[in-house]
Amino acid sequence: MSSLPIDNNIRRLRFEHGEMTQQALAEKVGVTRQTINAIELGKYSPSLEVAFRIAAAFNAPLDQVFQYRKGAGPQT
Amino acid sequence: MSFREKSAWISFVCLLLLTLGVVFSQHFHTHDAQGNDVVNPLHLALAIFVGFIVLQVVLHLIVAAQSPKDARTPKDERERFIELRAARIGFYSLVVGELIAMAAFHAHGRAGTLMWTVLLAIFIAWLIKLGSEIVLYRRG
Repeated sequence: MSSLPIDNNIRRLRFEHGEMTQQALAEKVGVTRQTINAIELGKYSPSLEVAFRIAAAFNAPLDQVFQYRKGAGPQT
Repeated sequence: MSFREKSAWISFVCLLLLTLGVVFSQHFHTHDAQGNDVVNPLHLALAIFVGFIVLQVVLHLIVAAQSPKDARTPKDERERFIELRAARIGFYSLVVGELIAMAAFHAHGRAGTLMWTVLLAIFIAWLIKLGSEIVLYRRG
């Protein structure tokens, strides 16, 4: 489980889109491969704009890509 | 490792060498038969600074040639965020360094001491900024 209160399905969605590479997704979204990797591993929370761009890259609604973990309180 | 992380490593190592070189240059004295300095420490420090710039440019060119696409890609939001966080840490380090420099000047009252302490504080703050960038890139 990641340290951030947001889970994502990027790995699964990449798999379902013909094993799309992190690099290919990064190019579609306009960020670096390392940033996609950090988001996928839950080490970095993307901005709303990048989150929407990732969802658009998979042609999926935002809540299918990112979910707020239930019971996660505000970060201190 | 991304181009930005490699760049941070290059800058960190080069700056560390520059800092050590400048410190060394101030203690490096070779005298001729009349007791005059053969090598002016200030000239040596300037030569080390020029070497630092050349080394930075050459190493960045080598790394950029290995991954030109990566090098041409503009910084994304995560990289800008890492840079801002590292800059904040570096800024506070600089403030502490400058306060120490002022205290050293107050204690010794020598302009030379102030100049070198301020310069050292800038180098150390810059090193801390680059080191923070590397740590933040490593964390993901």
